[in-house]
Amino acid sequence: MPLLGTRTYLAVDASSVTAAELGETVKGQRLRTLAHEPLPQGAVTPGPLGPNLVATDAVRAALARVLRGVGRARVTLVLPDGVARMALVEPPRGVLARDYVRYRLAASLPWSAAEGVFDTLDAGSGRVVGAAVRRATVAEYEQAASAAGANVEQVHLAPLLGLAGLLRERRGDEAHALLGDVAMCLAFVREGAILALRSRRRDRSRGEASRLRAELVRLAAQAANGNGSVPLAVTGSDAPGLRPDLGAGAAANATAPVPTLERGAAEASWLLGLVT
Amino acid sequence: MTRQPDFSSAPRTSRVPLFQHLALAACALVAIAAAVLAYQARGEAHAATRRLAEVSREVDAAKGRVQALEARARVAGAGMLAPEDAPPARIVAEVASLLPDDVRLERIAIDYRRGGVLELLVVAHDARAWDRLLQQLEAAPRIREVEPGPEARAAEVRSLVRARWATGPR
Repeated sequence: MPLLGTRTYLAVDASSVTAAELGETVKGQRLRTLAHEPLPQGAVTPGPLGPNLVATDAVRAALARVLRGVGRARVTLVLPDGVARMALVEPPRGVLARDYVRYRLAASLPWSAAEGVFDTLDAGSGRVVGAAVRRATVAEYEQAASAAGANVEQVHLAPLLGLAGLLRERRGDEAHALLGDVAMCLAFVREGAILALRSRRRDRSRGEASRLRAELVRLAAQAANGNGSVPLAVTGSDAPGLRPDLGAGAAANATAPVPTLERGAAEASWLLGLVT
Repeated sequence: MTRQPDFSSAPRTSRVPLFQHLALAACALVAIAAAVLAYQARGEAHAATRRLAEVSREVDAAKGRVQALEARARVAGAGMLAPEDAPPARIVAEVASLLPDDVRLERIAIDYRRGGVLELLVVAHDARAWDRLLQQLEAAPRIREVEPGPEARAAEVRSLVRARWATGPR
């Protein structure tokens, strides 16, 4: 029984929308209900600039359907991979992490920093993962969710939720790929700290698994002082299809069960950061 | 609980569930009750500290009295006279009040260790004055064991009188 109430996480990605109702207990959050609804191809095009919701009505209808069986009063909207610019930074002492992220990311954004919303995730070892999203892009998703009946209290990012889950596991050296439908996030973690981070758009053409493996090995070699033989793990959209091709070096958990949606073969890597 | 990032396009006021309001109110009540109890306990502690200080002072005073009584008991046990019981000024004043007009006191010695033995060197104008002095001394309630010294009654009497100062009634 959720002692502290329930919260619904409403995620939108290019191929689907997902609603996860979690009961908040003293020990953490427990998944109570998971609803998934596919979207027509091209209905959502996650990106940092320009309109993301192409088929607004279809998105609203899908959102309304997944919200039917879950609570709508306390909703956290989860934006997909690809909408945010992210960076792993180490703020100097005495400087507010969010201000430092704004300073570091401002020059590289495709829009004015004044148009952005900035926030951070504690990455351990004095570092933070900073992220910036264009306010107009956030508003686009918020309006769709509100139109579908959700009372949006908070807006989060799918990659940050996934990274939070990795940080909580506190395992040894591992290279992770958190996949969204159109973008992904690569992270090297060591005992509850992120040591290296990259985010980029996905190339889902043939051979993606081998390219992913090569990128993870490069990331691990760079972060682990040349030691590229660390476990690799892939979670998220299409992960089940990519894992077999990762080959040797894949982490034990690369094939471990992760929250699987009730319809479709996709996984929700962001759920890893929520469910305890 | 760590703060969750929030990328909302505009700040929102979070709608807190009713039970969280109730829990917050309960916590506030408990905190207030704890504060009141702590304040009362603090007052009681202060009162107890004050009472302890008073008792300590009383104990110190009692100790002083006990020490004084013990000292006097030691003095009494050894047959001595305590100067506190018979100050020299009082003895001198009393002896002076007993002197007739034609008798003068030249020296007085008080031996407290021997129980207040007095030695009075007196000079009387004549034998009658000497006799009056002895009568006065013997009649004095605080002076006992009067022992007149050698006397030459022909003319001026110059002699040493021994006596004992008495602290209690005769």
